[in-house]
Amino acid sequence: MTDAPAVTALVIRAREGDQDAWNELVDRYAPLVWSICRRYGLARSDIDDVAQNVWLRAVGQLKALREPAALPGWLATTTKHECSRVFRARRRQEGTEQPLDFEMTPDDESKLIEQELEAAERNATLRAAFAELSSTCQRILLLRIEGVPYEEISTRLGMSIGSIGPTRARCLEKLRANPALVALMTTESSRSEQYG
Amino acid sequence: MAEVWSDEELLARLAVALAAAKDVPPEFVAAARAAFTMDDIDIELAQLVHDSHLSAEPQSLTRAEPASLRTLTFVSAGLTIELEVTGLQLLGQLVPPQEAEVHVQERSGQDAVRTTDKVGFFTIQPIPAEPFRLHCRTPGGLNVLTTWITL
Repeated sequence: MTDAPAVTALVIRAREGDQDAWNELVDRYAPLVWSICRRYGLARSDIDDVAQNVWLRAVGQLKALREPAALPGWLATTTKHECSRVFRARRRQEGTEQPLDFEMTPDDESKLIEQELEAAERNATLRAAFAELSSTCQRILLLRIEGVPYEEISTRLGMSIGSIGPTRARCLEKLRANPALVALMTTESSRSEQYG
Repeated sequence: MAEVWSDEELLARLAVALAAAKDVPPEFVAAARAAFTMDDIDIELAQLVHDSHLSAEPQSLTRAEPASLRTLTFVSAGLTIELEVTGLQLLGQLVPPQEAEVHVQERSGQDAVRTTDKVGFFTIQPIPAEPFRLHCRTPGGLNVLTTWITL
């Protein structure tokens, strides 16, 4: 489910000191780190500290990881671990020792991380595919996502109403043709067949 | 091939993906990008392995002794940095004991240098109010950076 070729290429470039590649990795996985921290209900300053530590260590991991595609999994596990550490410390400071909502069996925990990772990969792949569309396509799809009616899209983009439907269909076709997205859809549908 | 997502499904998933990225504050992303300090590729990161305030033992409510001082320990492959927070200052000790330059880097970008004594002892005063990290360089070539510290 990881877009392994993309991640591997980025990790290898970042390893060689390429800041752009690092930025792309950050853009891809910052939502993952953020959403895990949010799930712990940490204060913003704690989230910033956790993230700072996670990213600094990730820079060190670039060279240490034997399998570059393992970076997302490492990020998810490390973030979870750091959040959990800070969360417990805060609870202790407040003197509340009641059991935590996040007290889970290792099995539950790894399943949850697996789900977070899957969602993060799916989202990153979709965003990357979307970013490759023309600006017209991006705007049409965004307006459709917001539920803006065709009449208004027509006014805003200066297109005839009749051409919006076909253009939207073409844009979706282009989106579907993205190789990473094709791979993702194939994996997800075969998995749901297998288990669903 | 099994059936792929319908148009509606694809749009709905795209909406979720875009929203997930939009939720992340821009400065959160900027800080993560800035973590890439590759200008100093030989730097070694020292991890916080012990913080007496975060240690597992619950605080005793009937403590007879005065509250103990907060101690922190950072460890990298070649160097351990021990810190003790006293009332007004921060006492530091490098292990193994050795002379070094210690940079106190605050998040605002402020950077102050301390030199340890012959056996690796140093003091930082006043205690930084904002998050900071220590960057230690020794004549022997050690180049170690701690993770961020908030006191």
